[in-house]
Amino acid sequence: MPAVLTVDPRSGVPIYLQIVEQIKRSVALGVLAPGEQLPTVKQLALDLTVNPNTVARAYRDLERDEVIETAPGRGSFVRANGRAGASRSAAADVTAEALLAAVREARSIGLTAQQVRSLFAAALARWFPEES
Amino acid sequence: MSISIAHLTKRYGGFTAVDDVSVEIPSGSVFGLLGPNGAGKTTTFKCLLGLAVPSSGEIRFDGKALTPQVFERLSYVPERSVLYEWMSAADHLEMQRRAFKSYDARRANELMQLFSLDPRKRVRNMSKGMRTALSVVLAFSTSPEIMVLDEPTSGLDPVNQRSVLKLIIDASAQGATIVLASHQIGQVERAADHIAVLRHGKIALAGAVDDLKAGSKIVEAIFETDAFAVNGVAGDSRVTRVERTGRILRLTVSSGSEDLAGRLSAMGALSVRVVDLNLEDIFLNAVDARAQSADVVESVS
Repeated sequence: MPAVLTVDPRSGVPIYLQIVEQIKRSVALGVLAPGEQLPTVKQLALDLTVNPNTVARAYRDLERDEVIETAPGRGSFVRANGRAGASRSAAADVTAEALLAAVREARSIGLTAQQVRSLFAAALARWFPEES
Repeated sequence: MSISIAHLTKRYGGFTAVDDVSVEIPSGSVFGLLGPNGAGKTTTFKCLLGLAVPSSGEIRFDGKALTPQVFERLSYVPERSVLYEWMSAADHLEMQRRAFKSYDARRANELMQLFSLDPRKRVRNMSKGMRTALSVVLAFSTSPEIMVLDEPTSGLDPVNQRSVLKLIIDASAQGATIVLASHQIGQVERAADHIAVLRHGKIALAGAVDDLKAGSKIVEAIFETDAFAVNGVAGDSRVTRVERTGRILRLTVSSGSEDLAGRLSAMGALSVRVVDLNLEDIFLNAVDARAQSADVVESVS
């Protein structure tokens, strides 16, 4: 696997979540290809210098979310249909979170819902010009 | 091998060093024991290793008492080096070989090289860091199932500190159960999956590191005037600390940050922010006397 992961253990975001989010993103962006093998739990734990059970927890979450699959004795792999599925869910998660934060920020500095709507429309017009 | 500590108390005369401590250390986990100096970490370790007799309570390894069979599979890096000043590193390795059937000479050699230790050097000529490194070599030379590591990186340079961390992670990946005390919270944050914080001999906080991080937040709200009422949220059991400074309210919470942020917003806060806490913040909150009850702290600004 290319060295696509960096975790910040000193951050307040749980380490297993950082690993889950970064692998989802890598799959969504095609940095990790379908069928590509992931490092073993032990290898990734040593590479990142983090607790192996934390890495194992991240892998379990990724299996549950159908981003990766683990074949006993062979290792963990990005699912064949991982890209489409994971990209949809990962991209949606990341976007939803960013939008929530932006709206909360807007409200906290006193913007009205109508003002937020027109800002959102302007952002859509900029990044989806073909649909406006 | 799991370790179960139940109602452990250790008194020295009138002084209670460890006061009714109960923790479950799951098999295969790295358990970080944090606490200020004198909080009871080393005494807990001594009881764990059978070097001190508990005043009450009990310690079980996979449900059994500490027997010679368990002791054979256990290794210890003490906070204060117990090396013999007049002996060389090689002499210590030889002692380890005689004491432990599981001693692995090849592994010991690799570890000596990892830390650039000279086997002929006598302990009395070693720096603090070299002594720590030799203790680490001895502990990891027997592929133990249980490791008790009391400040295993003290005096080491950052490169060797990282080597010790990788040894801990490697041993954990092989299934060893490791109890780690360190003042270097950044190391515990990397290596440990569970922690307990000791304060005055009692458990102030315990849990899985990732769960503690996911729950512990600061919720900061700014109100229009400084005459805002927070009775509803300040009394919430999830709030461990309340600070108000003028128009700003800062809540330290153990869980439910989103819910509390929503309630503050509904109470008319102009701005509400949720701030993540790292392990150092969580630790400092746990050992801070003021955080023990949700008293309202009126900051003077």
